[in-house]
Amino acid sequence: MKGMQAAGPMEQFEIVPLIPLTLGNLDISFTNSTLWMMISIAVAVVFFLSATRSRALIPGRLQSSAEVLYEFVADMVRGAIGPEGMKFFPYVFTLFIYILLANILGLFPSIPGVSHTFTTTSHIAVTLALALLSITIVIVYGFYKNGLGFLKLFVPSGVPAWLLPLIVLIEFVSFLSRPLSLAIRLFANMLAGHIILKVFAGFIISLLGAGIAVKWIAIFPFLGTVAITLLEILVAFLQAYVFAILTCIYLNDAVNVGHH
Amino acid sequence: MAHHADKQEPPSLEDFAERLDTAQRGTTDAEAAKRGQAMGQGFRLASELLAAMLVGPGLGWVVDRFAGTSPWGLLAGIFIGFAAGVMNVARAMQTPGEEFDGDNNKNGPASDGSE
Repeated sequence: MKGMQAAGPMEQFEIVPLIPLTLGNLDISFTNSTLWMMISIAVAVVFFLSATRSRALIPGRLQSSAEVLYEFVADMVRGAIGPEGMKFFPYVFTLFIYILLANILGLFPSIPGVSHTFTTTSHIAVTLALALLSITIVIVYGFYKNGLGFLKLFVPSGVPAWLLPLIVLIEFVSFLSRPLSLAIRLFANMLAGHIILKVFAGFIISLLGAGIAVKWIAIFPFLGTVAITLLEILVAFLQAYVFAILTCIYLNDAVNVGHH
Repeated sequence: MAHHADKQEPPSLEDFAERLDTAQRGTTDAEAAKRGQAMGQGFRLASELLAAMLVGPGLGWVVDRFAGTSPWGLLAGIFIGFAAGVMNVARAMQTPGEEFDGDNNKNGPASDGSE
């Protein structure tokens, strides 16, 4: 798209409408963000369909990796919520796989003229929507299961009565800050990582164009870019894990009120 | 003393590659993994603090708008948000279940998920 011209580090986050659509005054264009969300979902669906197709007793490579993922998330849910929490397993698993794939797919380099990689999770609109979905499930299930007893969440035990109004207020703000902190963490990690990658890779280009005497120095930012790419793969996994485990921990509050 | 420091030679260019190499060597896999975890925890705590410090004043502002108590709601919100942020950070540091960077948690599937 840009040819040989070096793009700025923020350009990768630009949202480009691919198929402009409007609904009344609402812009509901099919954008590159939409496209990459769909690619994440498609990759997940294709992977799990082909991994579970044979349903062998002795799993093959693909089936093993799907089973490892399943076990990993199932252990996480059981560990954080208890056996009762397994009813939330489908949601947590979907969330984990979606975020993991979105993070990792965004790490693939763009191929000029063919594809322009986009990291959906580097936009707070996407991460905040996921976080609000999580917290809505917590609130709805919390009231559904515990009735008004769910409000005990805001009243920690062993607090002197005169401090209680203030503590309840602080707990309330703390609860409301949960989805925001979930969203900020994921988006900030992805944004920062991709900017660092782009800036480091940009050094290679500038050094290569700088003249024969300093050209060889370009090897160092190159090695740096390789190292940061490794780091980013780790971060991609870690952030998907953190998002999922924190969702579990918040769900635990709804399932076992007063047990913490 | 400052005069003496001025006279120091600028770092020579001859060992530049070596020094750069030493600096670069920090970014090996294991090192990168450790840094990734440290960065993860840093982001975690920063976002906990930041989120509460946004929600507190935001809530105060909303109260002001509807109750017409400006600016007291916002002022109270700033302090309550800060208190909630500190509480979030303290909680994130101490609750064992919320650790995501411990050794036993990192290997996820290996840990026994009974409870």
